[in-house]
Amino acid sequence: MSTFVEKLKAYSKPGYYDEFDYHWTMTIDLDRCTGCEACVVACQAENNLPIVGEKRIARNREIKWIRIERYWEGDFPDVKMGFIPMLCQQCDDAPCETVCPVFATYHNQDGLNTQIYNRCIGTRSCAIYCPYEVRYFNWFTYTWDEPLEQQLNPDVSVREKGVMEKCTFCIQRIRIAKDKAKDDDQRRVRDGEVVPACVQGCPTEAMVFGDSNDPEAKVSKMMKNPRGYAVLEELNTTPSIVYLKKAHA
Amino acid sequence: MKAQETMFDQGQPSYADVNKDVLSSMLETGPRYWVLLGTTMSVAVICFFMPWVYQLFVGIGAAGMNRNAVWGTYISNFIFWIGLSHSGTLLSAVLHITNSQWRKSIYRSAEAMTLFSLMTAALFIMVHVGRVWFVHWTFPIPNPMGLWPNFRSPLMFDVMAITTYLTASSIFIYMGSVPDFAAVRDASTGLRRRLYTIFSFGWRGTAKEWHTLGWAYTFFAVFVIPLAVSVHSIVSWDFALSIVPGLHHTIFAPYFVCGAIYSGTAGIVTVMYCLRKFLGFEKYIGQVHLDNLGKLLIALSLIWSYINILELFSTWYGGTSFEIEALKFRLTGFYAPLYWEMILFCAFVPLLMLFKKFRLSWNKMLVISILINIGMLTERFIIVATSLPRKFLPNAFGFYFPSWVEISITIGSFAIFATLFLIFIKWVPAVSIYEVKETLKPLRRDA
Amino acid sequence: MAIMGTFVFEEDFLAAAENLKSSGFDNISLLSPLPLEEAQEVLGLGKSPVRRFSLAGAMIGGAAGFAMCVATALVFILPTGGRAIIALPSYLVITYEMTILLGVLFTLLGFHIISGLPAWHDEPYTESAGIDRFVVVVEGTDGEQAARAEAIIRGAGAEEIQHVEEKS
Repeated sequence: MSTFVEKLKAYSKPGYYDEFDYHWTMTIDLDRCTGCEACVVACQAENNLPIVGEKRIARNREIKWIRIERYWEGDFPDVKMGFIPMLCQQCDDAPCETVCPVFATYHNQDGLNTQIYNRCIGTRSCAIYCPYEVRYFNWFTYTWDEPLEQQLNPDVSVREKGVMEKCTFCIQRIRIAKDKAKDDDQRRVRDGEVVPACVQGCPTEAMVFGDSNDPEAKVSKMMKNPRGYAVLEELNTTPSIVYLKKAHA
Repeated sequence: MKAQETMFDQGQPSYADVNKDVLSSMLETGPRYWVLLGTTMSVAVICFFMPWVYQLFVGIGAAGMNRNAVWGTYISNFIFWIGLSHSGTLLSAVLHITNSQWRKSIYRSAEAMTLFSLMTAALFIMVHVGRVWFVHWTFPIPNPMGLWPNFRSPLMFDVMAITTYLTASSIFIYMGSVPDFAAVRDASTGLRRRLYTIFSFGWRGTAKEWHTLGWAYTFFAVFVIPLAVSVHSIVSWDFALSIVPGLHHTIFAPYFVCGAIYSGTAGIVTVMYCLRKFLGFEKYIGQVHLDNLGKLLIALSLIWSYINILELFSTWYGGTSFEIEALKFRLTGFYAPLYWEMILFCAFVPLLMLFKKFRLSWNKMLVISILINIGMLTERFIIVATSLPRKFLPNAFGFYFPSWVEISITIGSFAIFATLFLIFIKWVPAVSIYEVKETLKPLRRDA
Repeated sequence: MAIMGTFVFEEDFLAAAENLKSSGFDNISLLSPLPLEEAQEVLGLGKSPVRRFSLAGAMIGGAAGFAMCVATALVFILPTGGRAIIALPSYLVITYEMTILLGVLFTLLGFHIISGLPAWHDEPYTESAGIDRFVVVVEGTDGEQAARAEAIIRGAGAEEIQHVEEKS
């Protein structure tokens, strides 16, 4: 009887999880970001992002799981420029997850907003509901011309037309790290073992990634920085990415 | 409940006349009908199905949607057709409960409009979805994967609501037509007689049968009214349950329901005009009907305008930067001409119906009703095209313009509706024979 | 044997029906081209049992709808958007729709059961009953009973009287 009551309480709790197994979080220091887009290229290479083509990108159909948003003030030569790398914020209260009619996107035990390509039927309502515009739809089945298909990552699937995709915090790398840690005496994944492609590609080390459940992790310390903020905080999506505000001269 | 005053412009027909007139519209078919049917079917195939097949092969990219506006005319048309479907429910069910007499000759065609609008709307969902071959995953069908749909999702509310509405509407119109199928059976021979014997379930018209049908029909009406209100509220929640500025308003549910009934009633006026003109039903659809529909349209137009004002005022007064940006884009952006056209056609033009000169003229009402529906179609489009490109991050603002595929499919959907309706008028009596008889003064021995 | 009396005027038809009923004939059918409340009253048809089917359907639909939502949500625990697994506001909407769906379907079932349609056997009928004549059918009578019924019908002013062999 008591387990029934416990279960009922668990099922009625918003978000279901008391605590995530690993709470994958990222901090992005906007002071260090130069807008070089190395993260964009790295992501494209790691996650088999399609090559959409110039014509289609001009029609606003690009697929860039991480994009650099540029904001500027003033006119040349007194331009003040800011860059914000915008990727899926892996919100804990994600508006996109609620609306998928077939559970193609849901919150897993690691605090990640997962996207299941096989289940997606392409209603595209998740993209409507996302305030950050970080969800991308496969408008066509894209192909890679030879020899680009040689560069595809075997750890990541290739998506067909009609399927939604977005940044996954390189879940394939997380999975590989967790498997290795499990083989290595059932230990926990150590800080620094999981490096998503964008973090790895950034030349200025503006991005830090890790498990914020671990108080010793670098990301936990970076999060405490007083410059830290979340984009569109007021929408209460509780994103897992903390941006460190650019210090203005 | 017999109407004491006659509602018929050309004098009261006899019971036998009613049978003759209505059945001849069904059983006698001239070449004009076949030409019309052939045209609508060709337009449906060429403008709807062929571009759709092209899109199925190439991908949704054939439409004009892009990263911001991932929803486009397919969804706005879907909402338009669901809206149009509320006509029959209102007329048939609500006015049945309130025992109105003038509804009796026009409700059958209005219910048919409901059913066919729903079918057209369901087709749009098929066109819209990226992988339509998996759309059955939205139904709770047991499967080897053990996967079920997400009933917490607004889109699932939609699936359940529209399934229920389709089922309930089909049953509603079919059961209401059973005595008329019996009339067709009695007036025909050969294969048609056998078919309608099956369709009419062997109806004889005994007091017990009428009694049971009357009760069942009333219960259907009582079920269908809250269903219709909920269906369009749920459809509005596809938008309102998002956090997109411009869409995330609580007024959306009443707004859409009001807009649906409005658009549907205007659709009824259009269809009634066509029925009178092409099937010769001038005897049964007259000034009383036009007058009452006109008054209904005025009321709905005023409510619709009121809700629009509410939306504008509360958005402006709240002053959130996101909402103001969305509002500015809607009122002064690229699609501003469409927005103001919508206001003109749906808020101002219907005010002409306050004057009897407009309200009691079939030609003028036809024009007004078509303008109202053009305005409502534009309204759905505006909702999608002006809120999605202006969400939160300014760097991510965009623009949406429909492609030729979408425009063609929009035109084709009207052809599909017309085809279904044309088939309907030859298979089901378009005017309810027994209910019209209820409005006639009974024959008295001393008359 | 069944006696069928065809009437032109509704008032005669109703008078005949009342007469027959008060004379003790029970197996009467009153055919009309439109629903007549007076005819239903003569036969003593009050509230239809169809309403019980509607209520049953609505209650079963509500329960089944809610049960479906909860049961399917517990097969795989897939939290979405920081909402609870058993999210009552969402499930309320689904329950509402299922209530109406099953209410309608059960009402349909009730109609068929109560009215006896589809009619699998031929019953006494004349086509004018579907156009503009009112027909009284007295079934299960023979000899003296039949004569009495016929007299009542003729007395009320029937246009035509037919004798129909009944199939048992």
